[in-house]
Amino acid sequence: MKPLAARPWLTGLIIPVVLGVTWELTVRTGVMTGRLMPPPSRLLDSAITLARSGELGLHVAATMTRIGLGFLFGAAAGTLMGVLTGASGLAMRLLDPSIQALRAIPSLAWVPLFILWLGIFETSKLALIAMGVFFPVYLGVLSAIQNVDRKLIEVGRVFGLSTTGIAIRITGPAVMPAWFAALRTGLGLGFMFVVAAELMGASEGLGYMLLDGQQMGRADTILVAMIVFALLGKACDSILVAISVPLLRWQDTVRARL
Amino acid sequence: MTKLAINHVNKTYADGTEALRDIRVHANEGEIVAILGGSGCGKTTLLRLVAGLDRPSSGAILVGGEPIEGTHKTISAVFQEPRLLPWLRVAANIEFGGQLLDTTERQRRAAALLERIGLAGYGGRWPRDLSGGQQQRVAIARALIGHPGVLLLDEPFSALDPFTRASLHQLVLGLWAELKPTILMVTHDVDEAVTLADRIVIMRPKPGRVHETMAVDLPRPRDRLASPFDLMKRRVMRSIDRSLAEDLPTSPKPLGPGGTSPWL
Repeated sequence: MKPLAARPWLTGLIIPVVLGVTWELTVRTGVMTGRLMPPPSRLLDSAITLARSGELGLHVAATMTRIGLGFLFGAAAGTLMGVLTGASGLAMRLLDPSIQALRAIPSLAWVPLFILWLGIFETSKLALIAMGVFFPVYLGVLSAIQNVDRKLIEVGRVFGLSTTGIAIRITGPAVMPAWFAALRTGLGLGFMFVVAAELMGASEGLGYMLLDGQQMGRADTILVAMIVFALLGKACDSILVAISVPLLRWQDTVRARL
Repeated sequence: MTKLAINHVNKTYADGTEALRDIRVHANEGEIVAILGGSGCGKTTLLRLVAGLDRPSSGAILVGGEPIEGTHKTISAVFQEPRLLPWLRVAANIEFGGQLLDTTERQRRAAALLERIGLAGYGGRWPRDLSGGQQQRVAIARALIGHPGVLLLDEPFSALDPFTRASLHQLVLGLWAELKPTILMVTHDVDEAVTLADRIVIMRPKPGRVHETMAVDLPRPRDRLASPFDLMKRRVMRSIDRSLAEDLPTSPKPLGPGGTSPWL
């Protein structure tokens, strides 16, 4: 067997495994009942039961649909607006102050208004998630465009590229790393806001599962929902990273060399 | 025959800084002209005007008798930094310079240039994997792939060590002999100017003006160890000294009360 040093990721598992085993033993030996903090074996049981009954799948599908659509709308709008304000000084002076003013409002403060305007069903939830995704993507794209190296733009000009050519062949690739970073931040916020959206009233979704677990006094349901959230969030982020890797291979970063 | 003419060019920035005053420089077809001057004498500004990256406040820049407005398809440049596009592989970076060529010709020339600059087999690498000198070679190839009529060099060797610099001088001279572009280069290095140029234009600052133009009548290839080379360098340095002497204030202002210096 290889020593621990050869597999650095194993080091990170030590604390969760030790805690899990300790808690499992504490409950098994009857020192604690584990009612409010069920041990790993009971969580696994609950997860399997929820998955078998199809309940878990239903909630995951509902949450992922909301995240997916909300992220899509928010990211598209954020990117478009970022490109627009980044490309045009007029658009920047016209739109950016208003967008910054809206950004100053904590996103959750929109909830009552969204419900009033869009009803308590899907539309208001999507609006909230899309809003959460929009701002980081917008800011990321805008600042990336503003920070494109002027010297590289000059290279494009000297070698005869048109404004459109420069946008496609220089600004585009130059902005790509920051765009993906912004999308990842946006996705993270999307997950945050899907919980908020589902807590404010839903009949399905992982957020609903959390609320249901609380009302039924089922800590295991709550924890299963939390763990599933963590896994989904990590998975979605990994998908974004996987998409970005072939596009960002040119970057001189540690990740690119791994 | 005059390929490049800079006629009475002035450049004053929006904040009122006068960068260039009445610059008159010309370069004949296939000639290498070096603009020599210290920092702040406006030599890079002048090159940016010729590249079309900036506009003169007055005066005209003519290429082949035609005034240029903005960047020009026959003018190409190598900058102080390599400025390779990090997201393009080395071969693609060279091809980037040949926007007007068709794809097959562009790829053929890029492959030939890669070999010519001693980087055959490096075409698939990323710019980040090359050393500074290698990157600057790629930048030179990129500037020449389109067979430009005028090549601008903005101190492209100044950041390199003396060994790399000498080998790049030879590379540029070799490529110049093959393709015969008119070269307008900017440098602060007397040795470099005498090594490369047919004519040296010495500039002085505040505002940037032409101090003196000197012909370098040394046969090529030039022997940097021969005494005519040293003699030429000495002539250039003497001219620089004269330009510095003229920049000293002719009537110093009184420095202290009563018109005497506080140190006297």
